[in-house]
Amino acid sequence: MDAQFWVSLALILASFALYIGIAVYNRSRQTSDFYVANRGVPPVWNGMAIAGDWMSAASFIGMAGTVMILGYDGLAYIMGWTGGYLLLTFLLAPQLRKYGRYTVPEFIGDRFDSHTARIIAAVGTMIISFVYIIGQLSGAGVVIGRLFEINTAIGTIIGVIVITIYATFGGMKGITWTQVAQYIVLIVAYLIPIIFISLQMTGNPLPWMTYGEIVSKLGELDRELGLSEYFAPFKETNKMQFVALLFCLMAGTAALPHVIVRFYTVSTMKAARWSGAWALVFIGLLYLSAPAYAAFSRFILMTQVAGRPIDDLPAWTQSWIDTGLLQLIDTNGDGILYWEEIVISNDMVVMATPEIANLGVFVIGLVAAGAMAAALSTAGGLLIAISSSFAHDIYYRLINPQASDKKRLFVARLSIAIATIVAGLVALDPPGVITQIVAWAFSLAAGTFFPVLLLGVWWKRANAKGAIAGMLSGLIITLSYIIAARYFGFSLFGVIDTGAGIFGVPVNLLVTYFVSKMTAEPSKKIQEEVMDLRYPEQMTYKDGEVWIHDSAK
Amino acid sequence: MRKMDKAVADAYFRKRTRHILIYLAIWFIVSFGVVLFAEHLTHFTFNGMPFHYFMGAQGSILVFILLLFVNAIVSDKVDKDFGIDETENKRISAGKTLDH
Repeated sequence: MDAQFWVSLALILASFALYIGIAVYNRSRQTSDFYVANRGVPPVWNGMAIAGDWMSAASFIGMAGTVMILGYDGLAYIMGWTGGYLLLTFLLAPQLRKYGRYTVPEFIGDRFDSHTARIIAAVGTMIISFVYIIGQLSGAGVVIGRLFEINTAIGTIIGVIVITIYATFGGMKGITWTQVAQYIVLIVAYLIPIIFISLQMTGNPLPWMTYGEIVSKLGELDRELGLSEYFAPFKETNKMQFVALLFCLMAGTAALPHVIVRFYTVSTMKAARWSGAWALVFIGLLYLSAPAYAAFSRFILMTQVAGRPIDDLPAWTQSWIDTGLLQLIDTNGDGILYWEEIVISNDMVVMATPEIANLGVFVIGLVAAGAMAAALSTAGGLLIAISSSFAHDIYYRLINPQASDKKRLFVARLSIAIATIVAGLVALDPPGVITQIVAWAFSLAAGTFFPVLLLGVWWKRANAKGAIAGMLSGLIITLSYIIAARYFGFSLFGVIDTGAGIFGVPVNLLVTYFVSKMTAEPSKKIQEEVMDLRYPEQMTYKDGEVWIHDSAK
Repeated sequence: MRKMDKAVADAYFRKRTRHILIYLAIWFIVSFGVVLFAEHLTHFTFNGMPFHYFMGAQGSILVFILLLFVNAIVSDKVDKDFGIDETENKRISAGKTLDH
């Protein structure tokens, strides 16, 4: 174990101590805060907490590498995971805030006044969160694998143990200030390397202004090698797949159960709008930087590593070969390593770039701590989504309504443990790279929930039968398409597994619409509740009239 | 609590909905619109990179952020014009959550 190991480990442990410290400090103050009526977290901080919660291993570890490997085609992830916040903030979040139900099964169960709809939503939430968590566990595997210089599979096992302990701390997730701290750690860890690299390569510390030149130079290098240019559109995938993926990531962002639940800390519809806006500022800072990471990393690899003698490679290459994420094989046997002979996994790019650019042990350790913050914070939120869906919506509401609080807590803990272990087993041999696995979760969320939530909020005529048929058809079509495309090479219009939601969403929308139209309309009470969502809190829709509450002066 | 003129309440909803539709149209153009015509936008550069790449990596995100802030500011103004009082909103929505 070298100095790098100890520095990285120390920074990871120090950041964890910080999160736990903040959680414990806040919990002890909570009893007094409880009676201060509705203090509400200011939207700027709330936005930062949403950003910390939102950005997972896929954003932190996977995305820049995906952009580096796919070139322009990887930008679907950048636009999709930011643009979805517009759908969420314009069309869903304020209305859900006024309705007062934050978990997706709760909203769907109450809005459609149906136990069956609630259970389908709970099962859907569990499937989506489960797929998402596989991506987080394989992210933790990358970090831990590099740290101990072991295969990522063994790293994943260690990650599963750490996450299980972290999640059973319980409640820690709900605390806004812990998430604010996690955001600050991860954004600092993400920005410092590219600021230094930008300074080294161009003399300008603002990577956002300088990496454009590098992108253009990469295109020239590719042309010299006879490859398609880095920035050329639709070379790795096709246009239809790009559009499908972009659509799924956006609609999925607006419909992901563990993201929607984040809006419970906002005080009003107005605060929901401002929180959404601030959240995207903080999220955007990382997303604007990922393409810079990709460009710098690829440029250094093409100019400084490719073309070197195979027995004179930098020391960092060996530790990444050990994790199984990097292959350097001198296929033509001339003793020189060419760009085409480098096989690099998307998932190692962010973690390896500080080493490639020789930025020193502290920066490398910081990136490891940031990556762990991203993977673990999101994994915690997902586990809570799974356990509350199971323990509350399925076990308590359906199986055993007489269950005591203690029994329900036990079921919740048990479902966390089972979900983590099963997801960990799947993550040992991940079915794809992190961004790809997470994209499936987005497709599933879009196909299962987006149309039903949208119609549930905006169309009073949508009823339980429509929602049930819609969710089931959307979920089945999206899930079958992912499996058929991933394992059996099935494809329609050139859309691959990650874009499956492009078929699930319209089917769900049409089924919900037509089944609702053909069956009885919902009760007057429900229709009035939906009409009520058109107006701010101060206005109430009742008996066909709108009433306004005057302030109690 | 007093009854509001239905026409005023409808006007509020229509105004808010119209704004959102405008924002979503812009959202569509800078993301899907640019992607659909990406091949035709490669020939000029912006901020050092081909324009279609700039829009995917920077331009669209900046427009998204801008739209969210325009929405927040304009919605506040619409609320104010219709006499909505945020402190009253807070009071009403406090505690309006489902316990479990």
